[in-house]
Amino acid sequence: MRPERSNPKSASAVTDQGRRNFLKGLLAFWALPATAKAQGLLRSPVKVNHLRPPGAVPEEIFPGKCIRCGRCAEICPYHSIKILDIRHGVYAGTPLINVEEIPCYLCMKCVEVCPTGTLRRVRQEEVRMGVAVINRRQCITWRGVALCRTCYNVCPFKEKAIHLDQLRPVVDEKYCTGCGLCVHGCPMNPKAINIEPVYAFEQEENAQETRP
Amino acid sequence: MPKRRAHKYARLRFTVQFLAFLVILVNPFLNYYLRFNFVQGWYQSLGVGKLWFVSPLEGMESILVSKTVYLPLLIGMFPPVLLALFLGRVFCGWICPIHFLSEVEDRLLRLFGVKYHRDYLRLPRRIFWFALIGEVVLSMILGAPIFVFLSPPGLVGREIMRAVFFHTLALEGVIILIVLGLNLVTRRFFCRYFCPLGALLAFIGGRRRLVVRRDWEKCKECGLCDQACPLGLYPSRDEGESYYCWNCGGCVDVCYRGALRFTWRD
Repeated sequence: MRPERSNPKSASAVTDQGRRNFLKGLLAFWALPATAKAQGLLRSPVKVNHLRPPGAVPEEIFPGKCIRCGRCAEICPYHSIKILDIRHGVYAGTPLINVEEIPCYLCMKCVEVCPTGTLRRVRQEEVRMGVAVINRRQCITWRGVALCRTCYNVCPFKEKAIHLDQLRPVVDEKYCTGCGLCVHGCPMNPKAINIEPVYAFEQEENAQETRP
Repeated sequence: MPKRRAHKYARLRFTVQFLAFLVILVNPFLNYYLRFNFVQGWYQSLGVGKLWFVSPLEGMESILVSKTVYLPLLIGMFPPVLLALFLGRVFCGWICPIHFLSEVEDRLLRLFGVKYHRDYLRLPRRIFWFALIGEVVLSMILGAPIFVFLSPPGLVGREIMRAVFFHTLALEGVIILIVLGLNLVTRRFFCRYFCPLGALLAFIGGRRRLVVRRDWEKCKECGLCDQACPLGLYPSRDEGESYYCWNCGGCVDVCYRGALRFTWRD
């Protein structure tokens, strides 16, 4: 019977515990920013005015379906479509349109070349990249400062997607394709009209309902 | 003994590889500056007029991850699969831009006097299959295909396109440099052990018709072919008929006895 022998054992157990805690802390210290960063890498690059090309499937399956062949960007005659790089994590290589820089002119060429069906073959008026939303506090016409109607003038579905109500522009989301021509044309800074990618984050069933 | 034609296949192969590389090198310029869109894309998806080719692994990943089937995608995957079924991994050996760049690297090294180096690191060849399975499973877990944006063959095309279209290169292009750098350790290190696309094509082409067959009556077992094989196979032990061979014809070239030759397997 040697009780003193258990003492060094427990002492080592104590230091082990300490070391364990220290390592745990270290791990947490390292892992927290890493996970935060990883979430950034898994976050969709689609946001206001940053949209997928016409006919795109919902963001939920977009990165899985797209094979990053870049053919949509190659065929785009206006060079609206940009290809993302590795800073966007798993979304690297996917196409994105920044409508503030170059909007989509709805020529529908990208839809024809997409080999995976990620860009569905929809008709021009069926495109739903998003919905234009007018910020009435920013818009000079709505503020009553001036009579600007650039968004109305450039809209490819004039009188349908954007019409004038007492000379002030109003968007009808039933017809708005989200092409972003109005955003591109808006003279205000920051823009008084923006495309919200509302359809990109819908569930698949709903998306198919709204898009025949 | 028939007169030996030196480097018959090497020259033919290099020409084919060069032309294949030229396609993805010139196309972005044609697309961007001349708006000539007849030929389009690179070896992830190549469009010639209305004809589409889709790389089988990329297409498979797209189907598996999104869990939806799109018929034109399947049809686009069909010609490459058919090619692999009959001729094996000839895409790797004769078309793949990574193999082309590796060949250019080899030729440059030879120019600087590095004749032949042995493979410093050899791994078990079965890693190849685990690379394929692991990559597909990981893609399905993540819900995003990995090979489609990190594949070296695809990256070559994407980097060229990015350079032409956006006048910039992306960081992931470093992967190409790493793959080429690993060639200095072991020839075609990535192609040999880690390329999931190569593994898929090898799997499809396992029962291929075109093989390198050894005539054991002519063979003197000198081992020149074993030295020549960029994949580290042993044609002298009939590994030219194995799953891994990519039919590049390197061994056929060096066999001065004419014991190795391409044959149609019945």
